[in-house]
Amino acid sequence: MASGGASVDRLHGSTDVRLERLKGRLFEIALVAATLVGIVSLVVLFGYIAFDTFQPLTASIQWYLIYIGTLVTPTAAFTLYARRHPPIREANAKAFAVIGGALLVSLVTYIVADALDPYDVLLYVLFGAIPPAVIGAYARRSPDRTYTGPAVVVSTLVGIALAAGLYGVLRPIVGIIAQWVAYVGIVTLPVGAIVAQSVSRRWSLRRAALAVALVLVGTLAVAVGALVAGIEPSLPVVLFSGAVVPIGYVVGDTVANEPEGRIGVLGPFVLIGSVALGAFIERSVGVQGPESYLTPSLLLNSWHGRNAFEAGIYPQLVGSIVIVGFMSLLAFPVAIGAAVYLEEYVSDSGWRGRLATLLEVNISNLAGVPSVVYGLLGLALFRNTLGFGTGVVIAAAGTLGFLILPIVIVSAQEALRSVPDSLRQAAYGMGASRWQTLRTVVIPEAFPGILTGTILALARAIGETAPLVIIAVATTTYTSPDGLFSTAAALPLQIFAARSHPDPAFRHGIVPATAVVLLILMLMMNTTAILLRNRYDRDTHE
Amino acid sequence: MSKRSTPTEGNGVPPAAGQSPATELQRSEFVVRKERLYGWLIASCAVLTILVTVGIIAALSGKAIVFWTEISPVTFFTGTEWSPIINNAYGVLPLVSGTLIVTLCSALIALPIGLAAAIYLSEYASERARSVLKPALEILAGVPTVIYGYMALVYITPLFQGVLPLSVQLVPPSIPLVPEFTLTVPALQTFNVLSASIVVGIMIIPMVSSISEDALRAVPDSLRQAGYGLGSTKFDVSTKIVVPAATSGIVASYVLAISRAIGETMAVTMAMGMSPQMPHFPNVLDNLAVSSQTITAAMVQIAGADSLGHGPTYEAMFALGLTLFCITLSMNMMAELIRRHFREVYE
Repeated sequence: MASGGASVDRLHGSTDVRLERLKGRLFEIALVAATLVGIVSLVVLFGYIAFDTFQPLTASIQWYLIYIGTLVTPTAAFTLYARRHPPIREANAKAFAVIGGALLVSLVTYIVADALDPYDVLLYVLFGAIPPAVIGAYARRSPDRTYTGPAVVVSTLVGIALAAGLYGVLRPIVGIIAQWVAYVGIVTLPVGAIVAQSVSRRWSLRRAALAVALVLVGTLAVAVGALVAGIEPSLPVVLFSGAVVPIGYVVGDTVANEPEGRIGVLGPFVLIGSVALGAFIERSVGVQGPESYLTPSLLLNSWHGRNAFEAGIYPQLVGSIVIVGFMSLLAFPVAIGAAVYLEEYVSDSGWRGRLATLLEVNISNLAGVPSVVYGLLGLALFRNTLGFGTGVVIAAAGTLGFLILPIVIVSAQEALRSVPDSLRQAAYGMGASRWQTLRTVVIPEAFPGILTGTILALARAIGETAPLVIIAVATTTYTSPDGLFSTAAALPLQIFAARSHPDPAFRHGIVPATAVVLLILMLMMNTTAILLRNRYDRDTHE
Repeated sequence: MSKRSTPTEGNGVPPAAGQSPATELQRSEFVVRKERLYGWLIASCAVLTILVTVGIIAALSGKAIVFWTEISPVTFFTGTEWSPIINNAYGVLPLVSGTLIVTLCSALIALPIGLAAAIYLSEYASERARSVLKPALEILAGVPTVIYGYMALVYITPLFQGVLPLSVQLVPPSIPLVPEFTLTVPALQTFNVLSASIVVGIMIIPMVSSISEDALRAVPDSLRQAGYGLGSTKFDVSTKIVVPAATSGIVASYVLAISRAIGETMAVTMAMGMSPQMPHFPNVLDNLAVSSQTITAAMVQIAGADSLGHGPTYEAMFALGLTLFCITLSMNMMAELIRRHFREVYE
C-alpha cells in the first residue's frame, strides 16, 4: 500500500486537515470541560460545606500525624491488601455491610421507638405480629392453605385495630414492665425469629432452638449486667440483639465457611480499632483536634436558638426519620400495586388498554409536578378536608408519599419488566393462578429492583423541603414526635430556618453541619440501594 | 368507571367441596373470589394515582376560584405589584418576571452544558469514563435543593461580591467622537438572582444531559458509519449528523429542564429573597444583581406567614399553585408531544 500511504501522508500534511484536527481536539476538550464543570463546582461547594463543618485548620499538625499513623495507614494497607484478593475483598465488603447495616438499623429502631414510646410500639408489634405468626405456623401443618394468605392479612389488621381499640385498657398493663423488656419485645423477638428461620432452613430445628435460646440468654445477661452496673439497659439490649447477634452470625458464618476470605472480615474491626487507638493517643497526649461542629452534642441535643455550642438537631433527625419511615409504609404498597397493575394486569386493547395509557400518561405527568404543588395538595387534603393538626407527622408523611409515588411506580415497573416472561409462563404452566404467580415468582424476583428504586426515592424524600414548608411543618421543635398526630420537625427545614442566622457560628457552623448530616443520611441510603442493585445484578447473571 | 381486572383463570362453575387437585381443573369458588379481590385491590392502587391528579386539580382550583371571585383574574394576571400582606396587591406579573429571569439564566447555563455533556457521554467518552461520569452527573440532581439554596446564599454570593461591581470599558476613551461605552456589572445584593440562577442551572444539568444522551444514543450507528464513510471527522459526525437526528429528544429534554427550573422552590426562595420586582430596563444586568421573587417563593412566603387558613392571601397561594401547575403541566405535555411527533424514525 505504498501509494495509499503516500496519499494518506499528503492528506495528513495539508493545513486543512490539521485545522480540522485542531477543531476536533478543541471540541472534545470543550465537551469534557462542560461535562466536568457542574461536577467540579458541586465538589467545590461541598468542600466549602465540609470545611465549615469540620474546621480542619483548627487542628494541630500532631493531631493529623497521629491519625495518619493510627487510622489512615493501617486501613489503607488493609484495603490495598484486600483489593488484590477477590474472596477477601468480598468478605470485607460483607462484613462492612452487615456491621454498618446492623448498627444503623438497631440505632434507628431504638431512636424511633424511644421517640414514639416503646410501650406503644410493643403493643402494636405484639398485636400485629402474633396472630399472623400463629396462623402461619398452623398453616404449615395443614394441607389446605387456601385461606392462609387472606387470613394473615386480615389477622394483622384485626390485631392492630384491636390494639388501638383496647389501648386504654392495655397500655397501663403493658406499662408495668420495665422499659428494657419492651425493647426485648420490639427487637430481640423479631431478631430471634429471623435467626430461628435462617438456622432451621440451613441446619435443623434443634439448632434453631439452641440459637434462639442463646440469643435470649445473651440478651438477658446483657440486661442484668447493665442493671448491675447501674446503666439503663434499653440501649445495650437493643444493640446486643439488633447488632451484635446478626454481626456475630454473619461474621462467624463467614469465618467458618469461607476459609479463603476469612481474613476479610477483619476490615471493619481494623477501622474501629484504629479509630479507638487514635482517640486514645489523642486523649493521652493531649493534642489539639479540629473544632468540628459535627459533634455528638449536635446529634443528641435539641435546638438552641442562641448558643451554637448547645444547639442540636436530635428532634429534627428523629422527625425526618419518622416522617420518611411512615411515608414509605404508606407509599410502598400502593406503588407496588400500581406498578403490578400496569405491568401484569392490563391488556393492550379495549377500554382497559385506554385506561392503561391514561394511567401511564398520568404518572409521567405527576412526576413532573413541582413539589410545592404537592404541598398544596397535602394542605388541602390533610388540614382542610380531614382536619388534622398543622404540620403533624401523618400529614407530612402523606404529602411526601404522594410526591414519591410516581417515582417509585416507574422504578417498580422497570423491575417488574426485567423479570423474564419464561418464569411467568412456567408458573402458569404449573397451574398457579395469577396472584400465586405474582406472589411466589414475579414479585420476589423483582423485589431487589423495587427496593432499590424505593430507597432512592426515600433519599429524595428526606431532602424535600418545599412541600413541608407549605403544609406548615414546624421549622423548629424542641421535642421529638411522639406519635403520628404530633408535630415533627425535619432536617432540611432546620437548614431553611437557620439559613440567615445572625450568628456566624450558626451560619458557618451549625447549618453546614446539619447539611452534612442530611447528606450523610442520603449517602447511606444511596449506598444501600447501590449495594442491593449490584448484588441483584450479580444474582441474575449467575 | 369500573377498573376491575378479573383473573382469566378459574371462572366457572364452582366445584364441589373437597375437590382433589388432580382430577378437578376448576378452582374453588373461594380462590376465584380471592383472585378477584386481589385484582380489585391492585387496580385500586393504580386508580389512586389518578385520584392524586384529580385531588391536586380539585384542591388548587377550589381555592383558586374563591380567590378569583374576590380578586378579578384580570387584576391578578395583569397587575404589576405583588404585595399580598402589606398592600393587598395581587398582581402576578412581578412573580412571573422573577420566575422567567431565573429560568432563562439557569437555562443559559444548563442547556449548553447539558447538551455538551450528553454529546461527550454518548459520542466521545470511553465506556469506563461514562460509567464514572454519568452517575456523578446524576448526583447534581440528587442534592437536596435546600442545600443548593444554602450554598448559593452563603458561598456563591460572597464569592461574586468579592469581584463585583465591575466596570469594563468596551470602547477605549482615547478614540474620539465615540461616546464612552462602559459595561457595568453592578454589585450584588445579599439576596440576588445570579446566585440562584447558577445553582438552579447546576441542578438541572443532569436532566438535560441524561435525556439528551438517551436521544443521542438512540441514533442508529449506521448514520455515523455513513458519515465516516464519506470522510467526515468525528466533529462533523457529532454536530452535523447525530445531534440533528436527535433534535426532538434534545428539545424535549430542554423543555423538561426548563419546567423543572420553573417549579424549583427552595433554592430560589433562599438565594433570591422575597422582594418581587418588575424587570429592569435598559440596565438588564441589574435584574441579576437585585433580590427578586418567583411564583414558588411567593407561595413559600405565604405559607410561612402566620394567620392562615382563610382570607385572600391564603387563597392566593392556591391561585399561584394552579398557575404553576398549568405552566409545568403544559410544558411536560409539550415535551412528550415533541418527543413523539418530531422523532425521526429510522429503519
